[in-house]
Amino acid sequence: MFQASTGRQPAADPTLTLDLSAITAESRKQADLITPRSGPWDVIVVGSGAAGGMAAFQLATAGIKVLLLEAGRMIDVPKEYRTMEWPYQSLRRHRLPPDERPLAIAEYNFVDRPYGNDPRFANYKKLTSYAGNAFTHNWVVNEKEHPTTGTPYAWVRARVLGGKTNFWGRGALRYGPLQFKAATLDGFDVDWPIGYEDVAPYYDQVDRLLGCSGTMEGLQQVPDGVFQRPTKLNCVEVSFKRAIAKMGRHFIPGRAGVTTDGVLHNKYRSRCMARGRCGRGCDLNAAFHSPTALIYPARDTGHLTIRPYSIVSEVLLDEGTNKASGVRVMDMATREVMDFRARVVVLGAGCLDTTRILLNSKSSPYPTGLGNTSDALGRYLSEHLMGIRGSGFIPTRIGTEPTIDDARPVGPYVPRFRNVTDKHPDFIRGYHFQGGGGAGEYPGFATTIPGFGKAFKSNVRKFYPALLSLGGFGEVLPVKDNRVTLDPQVKDAWGVPVLKFDFKFGDNERKMARDMADSLEEMLRAAGAEDIRITREVLPEGWSIHEVGTARMGNDPKTSVTDKFCRLHDVPNVYLADASPFVSGGTQNTTWSILAMCWRTMDFLKEEIRAGRV
Amino acid sequence: MKKPVSRRVALKSLGASVGAAALLPWLSEEGVQAFVSIQQTAATPQPRVLSASQYAALDSLVEAIIPADERSPGAREARVSDYIDLLLDEGDEALRQQWLDGLAAMDAEAVARFGMPVAKLPAERLDQLLTDASRNEQQPQTALERFFVLTKQATIAGYYTSEIGIHKDLRYKGNQVLAVFHGCLTEDGQDCPHCGQKPVPSSDRKL
Repeated sequence: MFQASTGRQPAADPTLTLDLSAITAESRKQADLITPRSGPWDVIVVGSGAAGGMAAFQLATAGIKVLLLEAGRMIDVPKEYRTMEWPYQSLRRHRLPPDERPLAIAEYNFVDRPYGNDPRFANYKKLTSYAGNAFTHNWVVNEKEHPTTGTPYAWVRARVLGGKTNFWGRGALRYGPLQFKAATLDGFDVDWPIGYEDVAPYYDQVDRLLGCSGTMEGLQQVPDGVFQRPTKLNCVEVSFKRAIAKMGRHFIPGRAGVTTDGVLHNKYRSRCMARGRCGRGCDLNAAFHSPTALIYPARDTGHLTIRPYSIVSEVLLDEGTNKASGVRVMDMATREVMDFRARVVVLGAGCLDTTRILLNSKSSPYPTGLGNTSDALGRYLSEHLMGIRGSGFIPTRIGTEPTIDDARPVGPYVPRFRNVTDKHPDFIRGYHFQGGGGAGEYPGFATTIPGFGKAFKSNVRKFYPALLSLGGFGEVLPVKDNRVTLDPQVKDAWGVPVLKFDFKFGDNERKMARDMADSLEEMLRAAGAEDIRITREVLPEGWSIHEVGTARMGNDPKTSVTDKFCRLHDVPNVYLADASPFVSGGTQNTTWSILAMCWRTMDFLKEEIRAGRV
Repeated sequence: MKKPVSRRVALKSLGASVGAAALLPWLSEEGVQAFVSIQQTAATPQPRVLSASQYAALDSLVEAIIPADERSPGAREARVSDYIDLLLDEGDEALRQQWLDGLAAMDAEAVARFGMPVAKLPAERLDQLLTDASRNEQQPQTALERFFVLTKQATIAGYYTSEIGIHKDLRYKGNQVLAVFHGCLTEDGQDCPHCGQKPVPSSDRKL
């Protein structure tokens, strides 16, 4: 422990060290109330993020009795979403307390797995993924309790009601025909078993239910939606847009899963008030967060039971009927093991944890995991290539007085321009850029301004309103050997085998990364940017938090895990609600597609239940 | 001090319902007080790690890196040395030693060249010292050069997360409750006074 090694007491910091005793006591009480005899339930939903939240909402509002199992605690939204807190409100200026620390970029590649075992972290009580910060550290998991093995992977997990939707990036982009029919277009791998036309109505409904901000652009690479009031570009972004328009490229307002006009029939949410601090949890709940947008309204129907502290280790199989009979749960705190039963199991634990539960659900008919007759379970892991980024100062705003530039939920966006109508000689698929510019709260670029003294200080001010920076998201090809398996030895703190990663970016990704850096430099030059800086190194695998594909869907049970309604080929009453059935990842942030696909799957399940087929 | 938006003010500006009130931020008065006490300009420093002379040396260095000017106070008034002291208090032994050695090396250099420690140097002497120490900022070679980079980075972090740095120096205007975010006024079809750009003629714009 840190204190023992130094004999120092950390400074009291009430803004950072939140008192969560009330919410943990409430979570404990709620967990104790719900036992396997508290049912019956029609459906068990595992996980409470975008997938589990949407599944619970769809089923409960249809009058179906749902048991939602969340591995972490309930959340105290008003206390934990510290949206507008200034850094100087905290003694540590938003650094973590001394006994906690996130993994640094380089450590992902240079520290052996499991990361938490390394002696350099021995003095820290909690070691988080890179996503751990002053606002998220009570939600993201401790790597010491949740190890991984195998190749480096920046796996970000949150165990709390709402999961990662409490701090997600709000990018709400649709997959289009270029993703669903990618194989037809370039000959690599297989198409999805469904097309954009199958999912488009569900994207529309998600837009209407949750609110999505954006502009109509008519681009096939990222289809339009049912948009609320869009965000605006600021001055440096307008300069950049005009410069790259001459190259035939677009720079459009970001599409945000945030209600800018308000949503109907949800008393927990208000419209966006342009504060620009959504990633800490939006305490107006204008940003989509699963608890207020989906779970509380679902609970208000009276058909949803939530059991926190419920770690699901496996899906239970009734070998006589070849149907799942429920799930095995270990209580996070008491470690009591309980079997909860229902007619249907919906897994929405996140792509990789859903896969882990299935791999761990071993039985004599399915000795390598439930749903794994095809041997596709755990394979075809994909996410987005990140790290290629660039910045420069846009002359129209150098030396000007700062304006409000960051009061919006997401920055603008350069949609994919490679392999849309043309064919790039070096690589298939494509990438997009997200970013933005103008005056932000913290001038991170100041460390690149040379010197010291009055000249340094006034140069920081001079360039402060003029910064523009962008980062790329590239499609990672789904390949069979990029996979996860269960580690035969290592278990997590609750005795569940952990995932062993065997995942590396390949040649297509390397060539794509080179082109990303070149095209970004080309665009910044076209905009006349000064002091252009391009980062050409990719970030560690997993950084995008957009993992997809480890239980891919398909029409052929020999090569895929689920059918086109995300139902296991092996067992007809297990459905996957997260991104695990996605065949490929495109370049788009995954959350909006998870919500739309889950709604579609739940519509199918509702009909199965109504017709008495499950 | 610029006050954070209180529940009452936020409620009023939102015209929010009672239902929404339960979801507004929890603002701890104690939390506000805790940082006020350390940042009040007049408060006597009570460093946890640094001695009085080390604190004085550091205070001279950070103020030389980000000094007061016609626009805003500098790192001294923003209490950057208190911030660094807390950083050292909560860091590990290696970090503390790195800083204490660095301060000692700076003082030794000041005494060798000018016959007095850093805290006593007149401005032009301190400027000379830092000019030399910052010569290889991109690739620092000597202990002094490395310590300059370390101190500069911590000064940037401490100053631009302070109230003085954010509000008085940078004049950052965000993190407020706004009805609408405007952006560049050309986006609304007007001439933009902030960047001087003109709107695209409406005949060229998409519907």
